[in-house]
Amino acid sequence: MPNRIHPGLIGFTILVYIFLTGPLIIVIGASLSDTTYLTFPPQGLTLRWFENIFEISAFRRTIVTSLQLAVLATALALIVGIPAAYALNRYRIQLPSWLSTLFVLPILVPEIVLGFSLLKSVAVGFGTPIFATLLVGHTLLVLPYAVRVISASLASFDFSIEEAAVSLGSPPLKTFFTIVLPNVRSGVVAAFILAFITSINDVSTSLFLTGPGISTLPIQILAHVEQFFDPTIASVSVLLMFLTVAVMAIVERTLGLTFLAK
Amino acid sequence: MTQPLAIDNLTAHYGTTRVLEDLSLSVAAGELVSLLGASGCGKTTTLRLVAGFLEPTAGTITLGGRDLTKLPAYRRDIGLVFQNYALFPHLTVLDNVGFGLKQRGVAGAEREKRARAMLERVGLATLADRLPGALSGGQKQRVALARALVIEPPLLMFDEPLSNLDAKLRVDMRVEIRQLQRANGTTSVYVTHDQEEAFSISDRVAIMHAGRIMQFDTPEVLYQKPANAFVARFVGFENLIAMRVVARDGANVTAEAAGGARLILSQERMGPIPDAFVLACRADGLAVSKDAGAAGLPATLGLRTYLGRAYQYQCESPAGHLVANGALSTPLEPGVAASLVPVAEQCCVLGVE
Amino acid sequence: MLKRFAGWTLAAPATLVVAVFLILPVAATIATTFAEPGGVFSPYIAFFNSGFRRNVLWRTLQISLATTAISLVIGFFAAYVVARAPGRLKSILIIAAVFPLLTGVVVRSFAWLIILGKNGILNNTLTGLGLIAEPLSMLYTQGAVIVAMVYLFVPLMILTLVGVLENIPEDVIQASSSLGASPAATFRQVIFPLAVPGLIVGAVLVFTGSFTAYATPQLLGGERQMVMGTLMYQRAMVAFDWVGASTIAAIMVVITITVVLAMSRVARRLNPMAT
Repeated sequence: MPNRIHPGLIGFTILVYIFLTGPLIIVIGASLSDTTYLTFPPQGLTLRWFENIFEISAFRRTIVTSLQLAVLATALALIVGIPAAYALNRYRIQLPSWLSTLFVLPILVPEIVLGFSLLKSVAVGFGTPIFATLLVGHTLLVLPYAVRVISASLASFDFSIEEAAVSLGSPPLKTFFTIVLPNVRSGVVAAFILAFITSINDVSTSLFLTGPGISTLPIQILAHVEQFFDPTIASVSVLLMFLTVAVMAIVERTLGLTFLAK
Repeated sequence: MTQPLAIDNLTAHYGTTRVLEDLSLSVAAGELVSLLGASGCGKTTTLRLVAGFLEPTAGTITLGGRDLTKLPAYRRDIGLVFQNYALFPHLTVLDNVGFGLKQRGVAGAEREKRARAMLERVGLATLADRLPGALSGGQKQRVALARALVIEPPLLMFDEPLSNLDAKLRVDMRVEIRQLQRANGTTSVYVTHDQEEAFSISDRVAIMHAGRIMQFDTPEVLYQKPANAFVARFVGFENLIAMRVVARDGANVTAEAAGGARLILSQERMGPIPDAFVLACRADGLAVSKDAGAAGLPATLGLRTYLGRAYQYQCESPAGHLVANGALSTPLEPGVAASLVPVAEQCCVLGVE
Repeated sequence: MLKRFAGWTLAAPATLVVAVFLILPVAATIATTFAEPGGVFSPYIAFFNSGFRRNVLWRTLQISLATTAISLVIGFFAAYVVARAPGRLKSILIIAAVFPLLTGVVVRSFAWLIILGKNGILNNTLTGLGLIAEPLSMLYTQGAVIVAMVYLFVPLMILTLVGVLENIPEDVIQASSSLGASPAATFRQVIFPLAVPGLIVGAVLVFTGSFTAYATPQLLGGERQMVMGTLMYQRAMVAFDWVGASTIAAIMVVITITVVLAMSRVARRLNPMAT
């Protein structure tokens, strides 16, 4: 294309990408350093800081809690979010236009305010268990991704296909699972991944909802950094990174990740 | 002002695929030439090469003696009308039309005057302050036309400009385009896949296929005397019958088709006939005769359809499947044996490829 | 007829979840600030009478505005290059921008702790090069918080703006150059104006995100650079001043929602492609 980009802009973009990737490389490097303090480039290579994660019971517990929370919250958000997204597209004329705004409200309201309000009204007000309150918070947090992403793929779904199936004798619920859902699969996968990542990395909502004995991994990391400054933190950060990537890879393998290609 | 365009030995690739092969084309000053062909034939590629959005792998493009080949698009001074209009959505109709003038350093007041005058000419003076989003398809196309014309380019190019309009508007617009082009005498290249559109407004038409020009001539010649089987089929010769000459008698020639049917053809009416040739006939050029013994191709009539001016028959003959028209006064039933008689003026002789 | 309510039936669970667990609790939080014995607005009067809290609000606004401005500039130019990059390279650049987004806020802020610390990489490099004699104290400054927040939000900005720039039809850009506009003129007169609505959307995302952030200012700003998020946590969980915390929450909600509504209205008005 005779539409060249100014070389200065290209140089600038290279710097931006160094800025974007550098810090992550530094964290990975620091996690491998054979020193008791955090340093980069690593001095001597060791994996003992990764072993050390599992020596610390607080990390062992919070990794499990975070995974449970992310899976359950994502599942719940999809269970209530998919019908909502379907309704928003299929029965658009029947439903008021503010309804779609309602479902993105959890993004609009600052997370930290959501966490605090859940603490006051639900955890303290009704004395719900810590894990249950966390689950409510995370479900709300990820619900907008479920509704919006699936809505977006339903928007390009031709509902006359569904009508064709029904006219050929397929009952409505069966039609939904055999006709509609397979056609928006990539949307569901994208929603799952986005929701999972959002949940597992969340700090602001969880901040107020963790309690004695139950915490999430990011909150635990935050608490740990304030007391210790050793490579364990770097290695647990790397673990969190790989956990995220692993989930993406698994979901991709099982359901097929086509949304990144778009 | 008006300048001739010369395209010489142009070759272009998309990646490693060759999309244009050694293409040459010259457009005389003030002439309107259409590039006609199915999608993928290279017509749009040719236009984009001339506009400067693609770089050729070989060949040159000259406009009025100015070599454009290496020039960036914004220095070529070509007025372009796009298929999707490509109006600037953030600018009013007036600013859209004034955009090219602004790039040429025409000051505000003068720019507005000229843009308004051009809008007047395309009949949109009252819509000057609207945004393109508020216009209908036809209005958008007029703005696009005005925007391309107002810079008074030595060359105008149209990329399927009417394909997004409905049928009625398409006919009106093409007349309008032709009138404006004639009045300005601007050399023009018009890309389309619509044969009727190309033939109706062009001085000459280049029929393209697979990156080459199959024939470049006036619509009249293309329609009546296609140079090869591809063009013949393209301009609607339904029947292409392979034949060979078995006897010559002065101007008359006896030729035989597959299956042994013989025809006597006149070289005076059809031009010189080589020993082996293809007889191309439109359905109108094969008259259906009830008299199975007449001097034509014997055939069995099949499905009959009503065309308004005639009945059309799908026919089976030893020479293959043929389409022929018969008079409205004598409808014939399927299964009837008939004779298909070529009408010399409606047929032409093609060389064997 | 069941059909008339089908839409509502399907949307009901999600609607209930949002209403019961988001709207009611947040409304309750805001409501409590108006039910103080000292008078309807007494918690707000107290907030704005405190020089320290006014300072925190002012600092938070400064940090988030600076973060937004810097992210906009960096994101726009990078997105412009990414959007014009050839196919394969473009996918790589997009994935490289997505990857940091997959990594949590804590991890990404923590990285800057390693970089900016007293014995961090930057100080070691600078003293190693002999540029400075003594390590600089860069942590717990406004600059540290801004750098880390910019780092946090640039990928989001790039991805948003690549989408916006790719939505500008190629033939509109070609029309511009065929009419004689140089690449620079096309950028200024066509591409930039068409990207403005997208820039506003990106700016709103970054502003609201940084205005309500907790982890980054906590790690890199600490007590010295207290912002609305960290102040709210401190009021609620250290001082157990729930009314004070609720007041901060209410101020955050009002500011973010006002900004979102106002800017999305502006963006919609400026979007010529809306029709």
